[in-house]
Amino acid sequence: MELSLDRLTKQYGRKAAVDRVSAELGTGVHGLLGANGAGKTSLMRMLCAILEPTSGEVFLNGKEITGMGAAYRNLLGYLPQDFGYYPNYTAMEFLLYIAALKGIPKKIAKKRAVELLELVGLTEVTDKKIKTYSGGMKQRIGIAQALLNSPEILILDEPTAGLDPKERVRFRNLLADYAGDKIVILSTHIVSDIEMIADDVLLMKSGKILLQGTVPDLTRQMEGKVWELMIQPEDTKIWQAKATITNLRHEGSQIILRILSDTKPDEGAVLCEPTLEDLYLYYFPTKEGVM
Amino acid sequence: MELFLLEHKKLWRKRSTKISVMLCFIYIVVFGSILSYQWFTFGSSDNHTSAFGNHFDGYSMIRNRQAYSRSFGGELTDETLQEIINDYQKIEAADIEQASDITDWQTIDNYLSLLWPELKDTDIYKIIISYVDSEKVTGLYERRQQAIESFLENNGQTGQEKDYLLRINESVKTPFHYEWSQGWATLLGDVIPDLGSVLALFLSIVLSSLFAGEWRNNTSALVLTTRHGWKTVACAKILTGFAFALELYLLLSAGNIVSQLLFLGVTGWNMPIQIVKLTAIAPMNMLQAEIYEYVFLLLGIIGFTGIVMLISSAVKNNVSALLLSLAVIYTPLIITKYLPYEIQKMLDLIPLVGNSADIFRTNTFHIFGAYIWSPYLLITVPVLIGLTCLPFTVSCWAKRQKA
Repeated sequence: MELSLDRLTKQYGRKAAVDRVSAELGTGVHGLLGANGAGKTSLMRMLCAILEPTSGEVFLNGKEITGMGAAYRNLLGYLPQDFGYYPNYTAMEFLLYIAALKGIPKKIAKKRAVELLELVGLTEVTDKKIKTYSGGMKQRIGIAQALLNSPEILILDEPTAGLDPKERVRFRNLLADYAGDKIVILSTHIVSDIEMIADDVLLMKSGKILLQGTVPDLTRQMEGKVWELMIQPEDTKIWQAKATITNLRHEGSQIILRILSDTKPDEGAVLCEPTLEDLYLYYFPTKEGVM
Repeated sequence: MELFLLEHKKLWRKRSTKISVMLCFIYIVVFGSILSYQWFTFGSSDNHTSAFGNHFDGYSMIRNRQAYSRSFGGELTDETLQEIINDYQKIEAADIEQASDITDWQTIDNYLSLLWPELKDTDIYKIIISYVDSEKVTGLYERRQQAIESFLENNGQTGQEKDYLLRINESVKTPFHYEWSQGWATLLGDVIPDLGSVLALFLSIVLSSLFAGEWRNNTSALVLTTRHGWKTVACAKILTGFAFALELYLLLSAGNIVSQLLFLGVTGWNMPIQIVKLTAIAPMNMLQAEIYEYVFLLLGIIGFTGIVMLISSAVKNNVSALLLSLAVIYTPLIITKYLPYEIQKMLDLIPLVGNSADIFRTNTFHIFGAYIWSPYLLITVPVLIGLTCLPFTVSCWAKRQKA
């Protein structure tokens, strides 16, 4: 199974939210990484066939997805970024409603809903109205509904938003178990989530895919660009002004900076092992995540 | 079917739905029907400055009035009319309150003003029935025929149109069966015709969010990415909209009919509608007219529901959907009097804008050279408009997201 994106473009007025994106997405977990406004959500909505591209097409195994209609949607599980729910529904009622929309027979739906509620840790609050749930619990309901039909294509827009660290670990394990021979596409700001589970990472910026590859492939590109430097506390501001600092930690009375630089920033700087976060911050130096 | 049941359940779970239905029931059945019969329309008068000063004795007063009118034999002839006038004048001389409370004076006074205007003495401040010489009240049905013809002439309805309307009138059988008529006049002239505009308000409140509400809840993206999220769910929502409209209609109609049976009974069901309005041309009795008005209301509701659902699927905001839905009916109702007559008639074809009381009138539509009595179109066109909206509702819902 393969999703092919062919020069996919979405234009809002003069601004291109997604700009001629072409990619091949096979089975496995694909992590979509990018700052706010990079075009991740627009791209995902086009992959779900709920946003019409200005130009370009998406194919599933060679078939154009909008032409596939319900057959394509039958393979799809989607968690939108701004996940909506019916506040007066209980978790069980909500899942059964979505199951009916997905065309799952009632008996199977009930069994599946019970399984999923257990999987996302909501068994004890099954009969409570969703409006009483915390943000993390609502997000877990969102994940459960996306998995109801055991989709072949699972698209998750910021699935870990609102989850506490323990829930994130549970989610990562769940997704790793699930992926197998399915296409899973997820976007998140939390680089470590992608680093842990994505087989393939797509780095998006200004509507374009800058890089695509496995985590080791991508981090390899940062080799020789990540440095650590020990400085006096009073020099911190000087360094923040002249370099991209990805981390700062105290060690005794001194400070250790993690610096992204194509060249050795200082005589005392030492090279270190790059991470995906370094790569992300290298490409988004002026946005969030940069100290 | 399962989706329909789920959508239906979803609609009824909303607090706004429950509150709307309750308010609608209180306003229409409790206030507009039960309290109207028992208190401010048929209660005996005490404080003449306000109907709310009436006594809370409508039930017994209606019985008294029905018994009194029944004493005049059932057929409305010159002789019966004279008897009614004489009896009224006798009662009034003894006790004016009694005359006002138990006689059918409004109906008879209308007949006299319309058919024997020459008997009206402008120097006397009283109503004509109080002083008219009953001996001069003769030729009821001939005068009615003349009144209809002059009314049509004065209305500019001449030639082919006049002939067409008079042909309808030929089927009206005389002499008329007569009983107490004020109950039927209130029911057919006010209670049922006014239901439409009130129902439109509550239908708009509940149904404008049927599709648009999915955007408010941010659930549209979820729904539209499911297998049945496009056409099937749109059809389920449409069925839900109609089911709700039907349920509301049945609830209110049943409430109204039960209170009608309780207070008015069935007495007078076979009177022709001409008893209420002499110049009416439709060969219908009161029961037929009531059935017509309820069918008119039902078809109007179906038509209006179709429009509201189209608006709901075409906009992504509950408030905009509500305001647009209300505008569809209330704008024509407000502006119609400032518009040319032909445009007024066209606006009447919008669901629930036209009035079921048109069966008492002589309005026509002139289409492709033929004259059509207005109730024929007023009852059919609104429902067709509503049904025409349905395919657009489905496609708006399925495509709106893809902008």
